[in-house]
Amino acid sequence: MSPYVLALLLFSLGLGTTMTFASSHWLLAWVGLEINTLAILPLMARNHHPRAVEAATKYFLIQAGGAAVLLFAGTTNAWLTGQWDIQQATHPLPVAILTLALALKLGLAPLHSWMPEVFQGLDLTTGLVLATWQKLAPLALLLQIQPANSPLLILMGLASTLIGGWGGLNQTQLRKILAYSSTAQLGWMVLVLQFAPSLTTLTVLVYIAAATATFLTLKLTKATSINMLAISWAKAPALVALTPLVLLSLAGLPPMTGFMPKWLILQELSKQNLAPAATLAALTALLSLYYYLRLTYAMTLTMFPNNIAGTPPWRLPSQQLTLPLACLAIATISLLPLTPAAVPLVAL
Amino acid sequence: MSLPKLARLPSARLLTSVLPHHQLLLPPLSPLTIPCRTKIQQDYRRPGQPRVKRNPLNFNFSKGIEGIKKHFTLMKDEFFGRWVGPEGKPLIEHLLEQNLVIWEFRGPESLEQWTVSSDQEIGGQSEAHLKMGRNDITCFLHGKLSCTIPKDGETRYSGYCSMRSKIPKASFDRKKHYDWTSFNTLHLRVRGDGRPWMINIATETYFSHQKDDIYTYFLYTRGGPYWQEVKIPFSKFFLSHRGRIQDDQHPIWLDKVNTIGFTLGDKAEGPFQLEVDFVAVSKDYAHTEEFAYEMYERNPKD
Repeated sequence: MSPYVLALLLFSLGLGTTMTFASSHWLLAWVGLEINTLAILPLMARNHHPRAVEAATKYFLIQAGGAAVLLFAGTTNAWLTGQWDIQQATHPLPVAILTLALALKLGLAPLHSWMPEVFQGLDLTTGLVLATWQKLAPLALLLQIQPANSPLLILMGLASTLIGGWGGLNQTQLRKILAYSSTAQLGWMVLVLQFAPSLTTLTVLVYIAAATATFLTLKLTKATSINMLAISWAKAPALVALTPLVLLSLAGLPPMTGFMPKWLILQELSKQNLAPAATLAALTALLSLYYYLRLTYAMTLTMFPNNIAGTPPWRLPSQQLTLPLACLAIATISLLPLTPAAVPLVAL
Repeated sequence: MSLPKLARLPSARLLTSVLPHHQLLLPPLSPLTIPCRTKIQQDYRRPGQPRVKRNPLNFNFSKGIEGIKKHFTLMKDEFFGRWVGPEGKPLIEHLLEQNLVIWEFRGPESLEQWTVSSDQEIGGQSEAHLKMGRNDITCFLHGKLSCTIPKDGETRYSGYCSMRSKIPKASFDRKKHYDWTSFNTLHLRVRGDGRPWMINIATETYFSHQKDDIYTYFLYTRGGPYWQEVKIPFSKFFLSHRGRIQDDQHPIWLDKVNTIGFTLGDKAEGPFQLEVDFVAVSKDYAHTEEFAYEMYERNPKD
């Protein structure tokens, strides 16, 4: 791809998200979301493989549909309340439609079916952008329309953690596993949205760090399936020793950073007298933990008797920058002691 | 031994051959009936010909009960297989396996997974039949290739015969795919007649334009009484669409393979035969090539 075109597309990606962040009118928010969608489509279809084109088509249909429903809900809210302001979305019907539209754009259960197929058709870099950057704009809107006492958000959150854990259980393709992982993590974010939005923001930040570290690891070891992960010990031994900690941080195990948001979310849910929801969320996290542990088992804890397939890795060192991966991996593993600084967020 | 006629369509009945798949519910015409692709899938309807009315549904209660049992058994196996591991096997097997036999012909029921077709669909005169080989341990595809062009004013080429595997089905006839990402080589044991065959692999597609996208490579048979073990890396397969090799090539993605087939179209009239012992996939650690064909820059700037 020409560097000018790439620069334009990346700029548009940033512009779209920033517009949505900065907007207070539904139309401008919709424009930002559409710019985001249209900017990432050439990046997804850059590789002319039919699966990449299929992923781009499915992504476009889903996102365009979600954005259209979002605009429809914003218009309905303006019709019913006279307000185009995002934070003045008060009528319950448009708010419900908005929530569903944003859930479709994010990939929350039960509107998550597009995620595994789309991720599978993409290369790891575009998948990383999809899993992290593309979630920011819809989450920003969801944070602003947070309905009070909405069972819909809690149900979607629990469904996402359950389906994200259950669906990833028997996958051998890493991109599909990360898609289901993304759904599960989004479930946690949405569970606490209406009670402590700042916790949602914290969860998003921790997830972005962990997911970026995971995607960059897979990119460096050129692993797209569990089998390829099993032989990555020869390509980057130190990274292979560190990656289980990153994966377990994604799973939410102490003493890694990933435990922080889950702990605070469970605490907040208990304070809101939602102990059954908290219990169910914690139990469904075990399902996700199972496939993270499976990746850890295949990558680090076992050394397979198979010889190395593929080009001898020690002759072709990776050209990928390692500084972002190093910083994010350390951040993902060792920031749990900062939890007391995060606790006041809950009180806000 | 006279062969069942089901695999051959007389040209007089070509236009009136029926389409619907529920014909499979009818009792078989002979003890060994090889499903013919034109009876199961859409028959070739020449442009301008009137559409054929389908036969009314033949309701059979006992077949319905058998169908219910079969589908619910499959669903139960899928559900409990999920607890075991990917594709119903433990993960350790998936990680360690280096060879996997996909099709081996060890009884007449193995032929039900294959369909046979020839250019009789478009009005040609080739014949293709599939039966079990000697001692019921191989499959035997044989027939007669005829390059006579149908006299319909629009067909310019003719003369092909093929056998193709059916798409694997999960419970309630949902499509399932083969996941061959752990492997990089196709391993066959065949005994041919010296003719060049083509191996066609079809993967799952999304757009209807890609329906006939097939990844092809050649199988040069040696003929003679000795078996031939053929190992073809998947990196050698190139993309073709309806027989035309495409300019924009890419390696085959092995995570959603639907069918594999053997086609003969070497423009040599006469009898042919191909005996297949097994079709397997394997992992060749010495083969490190990702794709055998490099793309050159079309329309260079200078």
